[in-house]
Amino acid sequence: MTLRSFVFCAVAVSLPRLLPGQVTALPILAAEATPIGALPPVALPMPASRDYNYWGARLQVGQRRERGPEDLLAVAGGIDYQVRGGSIFGATAGYQWRQNCQSTTGDCGHTFYGARARFNLITGGPTVAGLLGDDGATSTLGTEVGFGFAPDIMENQNACTIDVGVPLSIAMLERLHLVAFLTPGAVWDLDCSAGDTTPQRSYFLGFGLGLQQLGFRGLDVHLGFQRMFRGATGVQFGLTVSWIRLP
Amino acid sequence: MSAVPHFTPLYLARTFVRTASCRTTFPKLPRGILTRFHFERLAPLTLVRARVLWRAGLSLLVFAALTSCRHQVELYELAPDDIETTLFLIGDAGEPDPRQVGPPLDSLTAQAAAAPERSIIFFLGDNVYPAGIPREGAAEWADARRRLEAQIRAVPPGAQGIFVPGNHDWDNSGPFGLYSIRLQEQFIASAARGRNVRLLPSNGCPGPVSLDVGRLRLVSLDTQWWLHSFIVRDSVSNCPTNTVATVTSELRAQVRPPGDRRIVVVGAHHPLITGGEHGSYCGVTGPFRRFGGRSQDIMSTANRTMRDSLRAAFAGRPPIAFVAGHDHSLQVLRGGEEVDYLLVSGAGAPSKVSCAVRMRESYYVSARSAGFMRLDIMKGKGVLLRVFRYPGRSTGALVYSRWLEPR
Repeated sequence: MTLRSFVFCAVAVSLPRLLPGQVTALPILAAEATPIGALPPVALPMPASRDYNYWGARLQVGQRRERGPEDLLAVAGGIDYQVRGGSIFGATAGYQWRQNCQSTTGDCGHTFYGARARFNLITGGPTVAGLLGDDGATSTLGTEVGFGFAPDIMENQNACTIDVGVPLSIAMLERLHLVAFLTPGAVWDLDCSAGDTTPQRSYFLGFGLGLQQLGFRGLDVHLGFQRMFRGATGVQFGLTVSWIRLP
Repeated sequence: MSAVPHFTPLYLARTFVRTASCRTTFPKLPRGILTRFHFERLAPLTLVRARVLWRAGLSLLVFAALTSCRHQVELYELAPDDIETTLFLIGDAGEPDPRQVGPPLDSLTAQAAAAPERSIIFFLGDNVYPAGIPREGAAEWADARRRLEAQIRAVPPGAQGIFVPGNHDWDNSGPFGLYSIRLQEQFIASAARGRNVRLLPSNGCPGPVSLDVGRLRLVSLDTQWWLHSFIVRDSVSNCPTNTVATVTSELRAQVRPPGDRRIVVVGAHHPLITGGEHGSYCGVTGPFRRFGGRSQDIMSTANRTMRDSLRAAFAGRPPIAFVAGHDHSLQVLRGGEEVDYLLVSGAGAPSKVSCAVRMRESYYVSARSAGFMRLDIMKGKGVLLRVFRYPGRSTGALVYSRWLEPR
């Protein structure tokens, strides 16, 4: 399926769901309304001692632009649980606004919720960073699966998504860790309201830079970007500040 | 388009890493480079956003480079008279080159020979690969002897050499382990030829055994005793401690020496924390190692039990450092509440070096390079850690230094 026909199908599926009173509101895809599309991507967690499990907190702000007259702005908070210094499980709750909202019904914002598991499969040597001269860099290849839910993204319409990805992170430098990351994946958006529609799949690619252990050992800051390869979904970018409580 | 051909992304990335590694000065960027780089082909609206993103990204890189380029290697000039004791830490050195003694052993010898009377060389286990000293007459016997002799000769006359047993010395965790340890002890004694070298703890006992030199108390443990699946004592063992409870209790007592400003260093083969293969990092099997039940790995239950016991013994009076080998890398790690620093110095054999990752506890990590560590205990106050790394056969350098106890 070409990109053009894919976009056509997506729009065709979306249009009949719009109620007569909403004709002035632009549709919002489920994948844009749940955490996977509403929030910026983040690097895989930094390895830590295998002796402990760690609790952490996360604040995220993201904006999806160039998707037409309405930009999407989202803020969210979350908690993370890193198991024995490796894989991480997290829950997220947030709120998304439509900027320059053209809806006549006033539903220009909605809450969203998500859960995500990220598994570190390979954590090892420098790989690409070795070519750049940092022999002590750390590469991490993982896999992730996430679930998202956003009630009432439009009138009588909820959004549910499931996504899978294969994130890759490369952390460099000695004192302040600079991490570059890629988060390719696919997301299936489901119409929770009707329940009998075919899941729509979108591919996405996230990337970004982050600074790990910024001043404090558990404090990380990531700048992330994401492109979803489906119609006029624009570009997502934003900031994540996360903190892991270390013993 | 006024492109700048030599400012390619790869060039910038290389320059950035070199700068952050303090190996070059940051390039002087031509005026306008921040806004001129390949943007002219973009549409006007996209151009503005691309410029913003480019500036933000580059600012982040420059910030990271500049903050990372605080010199991590301080060439402290220590007056020889101010140094009370020098402790060299080298582990997993049991596979020296059969043709010539190269780095890091020869460099360690040269440093220790400068002041042998105050030098202690601590071999942190796996002194003979692959399976310790075999029975005399076995095909591997002569080569095992060669491996151990190379390390004994690295101890200059007048210096002390202490060998700690590792899992490979225990017949690679095999049933002959206890007897292989005893053979190693006998061989060290016979090959000493006037040198002050010994195996501690001796006779296959778990320890702890303490050595007091000035302010330093060096506590030696045989951690393979905790993890071994075969016989660990017999009728001739006669160990002062021979149960987990007595070892822990005695360790608790020995890390509390009388006197002020004592420096306690506990040494064993197995680390308390590591970012190497035995920490279930490096390689695709990493996260699944916990299911294998290998006692040599951090994630196994037996290893966890041992480490919990050791940590419990340190509680309330943390040693300044727990030093170990096992993983073939050089790591300086934050210890936590039970011990101030964790040092992994298992890169004694260039042919065995392996991967290590940076963890949140890491102060310094060197992977895939041979090397050793040096602790200088100063008179009065101060303990300086220095890490020496040898990426090549003939090149090496001081790569990290840190005051473990401020001077």
